[in-house]
Amino acid sequence: MIQEQTYLLGEQAVVLDLNCARLDNTQQNRLFALHRHLQKQAQCTDIVVGKTSLTLVLQDPTQCASWQDQLLLLWEEFNAEDFHPTTHQIPVVYGQAAGPDLAPLAAQLGLSQSDIIELHSAPLYQVKFLGFLPGFAYLGCVPEQLRVARLDSPRTHVPAGSVAIAEDLSAIYPSTSPGGWRLLGHSPTQLFNPHSQPPCLFQPGDNVKFVPQKEGLC
Amino acid sequence: MLDVIKPGVQLCIQDLGRHGHRHLGVSQSGALDPLAVKIANTLLGNPLNTAVLEITVGLTQLRFTSATNFALTGGDLKACLDDTPLTPGWRYYAKPGQLLSFASSPDALRAYVSVEGGFDLQNVMGSCATDLQAGFGGINGSSLATGDQLHYTSCTERHSVGALQPGYHKQVRILSGPHCTQLDSSVAQLLCAKSWQVLPDSNRMGMRLTGPDLLTHQLSINSQAVLPGTIQLPPNGAPIVLLNDCQTTGGYPMIAQVIQADLRHFAQLSAGDQISFTLTTPALAHQETQQHNYHLNQLRIALTHHDRSIS
Repeated sequence: MIQEQTYLLGEQAVVLDLNCARLDNTQQNRLFALHRHLQKQAQCTDIVVGKTSLTLVLQDPTQCASWQDQLLLLWEEFNAEDFHPTTHQIPVVYGQAAGPDLAPLAAQLGLSQSDIIELHSAPLYQVKFLGFLPGFAYLGCVPEQLRVARLDSPRTHVPAGSVAIAEDLSAIYPSTSPGGWRLLGHSPTQLFNPHSQPPCLFQPGDNVKFVPQKEGLC
Repeated sequence: MLDVIKPGVQLCIQDLGRHGHRHLGVSQSGALDPLAVKIANTLLGNPLNTAVLEITVGLTQLRFTSATNFALTGGDLKACLDDTPLTPGWRYYAKPGQLLSFASSPDALRAYVSVEGGFDLQNVMGSCATDLQAGFGGINGSSLATGDQLHYTSCTERHSVGALQPGYHKQVRILSGPHCTQLDSSVAQLLCAKSWQVLPDSNRMGMRLTGPDLLTHQLSINSQAVLPGTIQLPPNGAPIVLLNDCQTTGGYPMIAQVIQADLRHFAQLSAGDQISFTLTTPALAHQETQQHNYHLNQLRIALTHHDRSIS
């Protein structure tokens, strides 16, 4: 088995790479516990969670070498139970204009639209990491039966609030943008506002529960 | 006030960037040439992070409606104050009604203008920098347009004074990236072995490069944090140098990282320019950043003496 490792990214950043295809729940929550711990320290400009990694951008680059050792020690110290996520209830209007890919996806997978809604809204998702756009959270994991590739040709205009899936992940577009994920529904919840405090509703590791609304198909 | 008569190709408000929010998907933004911002602000006695105008390509016209001292830094885009040609790296005084105009140049791409005391701007998430992708910061989150007005507090005339600006180069120093070992281990050397051409679809998010022998591969990695200066290698083998507006995570292998001190050179590179890379060490990279700090300290001390001896 390949062990977790640390390495430098340029002269200012140190990466803890867990060196595996995916994390199990225990490893995932240990990583979030470590992230929360590091956020309380003043020595980092940025701490970014990736799918199977954590990157520290240090204020003082001369500390990089010592952080390479320290991160490996800290990783051993944290337990999954040290992490206490917030859970967000996210209302979703599924189907029709709010989710233009729901009907074609049902046809493709040989399921009814309400099967897909039930499958999609069943799990308690977790924010694995954020990226792509401010407030764009990669939510895992979509049930096996719903795992589909991205669209062959991305849309040039995905409306803000679109609830979408691609492979084993779900997401809500925080702002209007191009995008290749399959759109199942729409949520009125504001995810990101740079003028609010805090600006972003979701933090890495938070839980998300989709709640189907009567206005849509459900 | 500073009135935007003509914005030119791209005119935007930038400072030293928005930090501490990358885990939420928020980009750094900020001036592509942070040293030019620091020199401009030092010339005026402003805090180093004071927001400035970033002028791309040129063809820009700005009118001062009240008196101020201003500094012009970065590349030489053939600026004039009314009919008087200006030199980058200098502090000047503008009277009410004077026009600051930029032509353009085949040898430079970006210039910076700061005013004494800074522009009155709203701070968004710790920075005044314009996030052009996400649409916040600066003035309404976008590039400046004709009719936009920037407010500042008027001030009395100071003597013109100039600072030495370190030159811009087309040879950039890099540190080997974390995924080289999983690709052909000599990929960083191959990157350094020849020169690369800047493609036209380059922007503040990233600089796309092409060359005669592309470094194609089939390695995909789990999405992880990327930074300005990260050199990504997509499967097509054409490297991308990420710049200030880049996304916060990426799934392409990272084959190198441009050293902090050399990132400013990308501010002046246009489509068609040839660049090359050389490998260096973290110790040397720190030294180069220190050199910039010494340079700014020397400038500040020299200016203190200069301004005192004149007044």
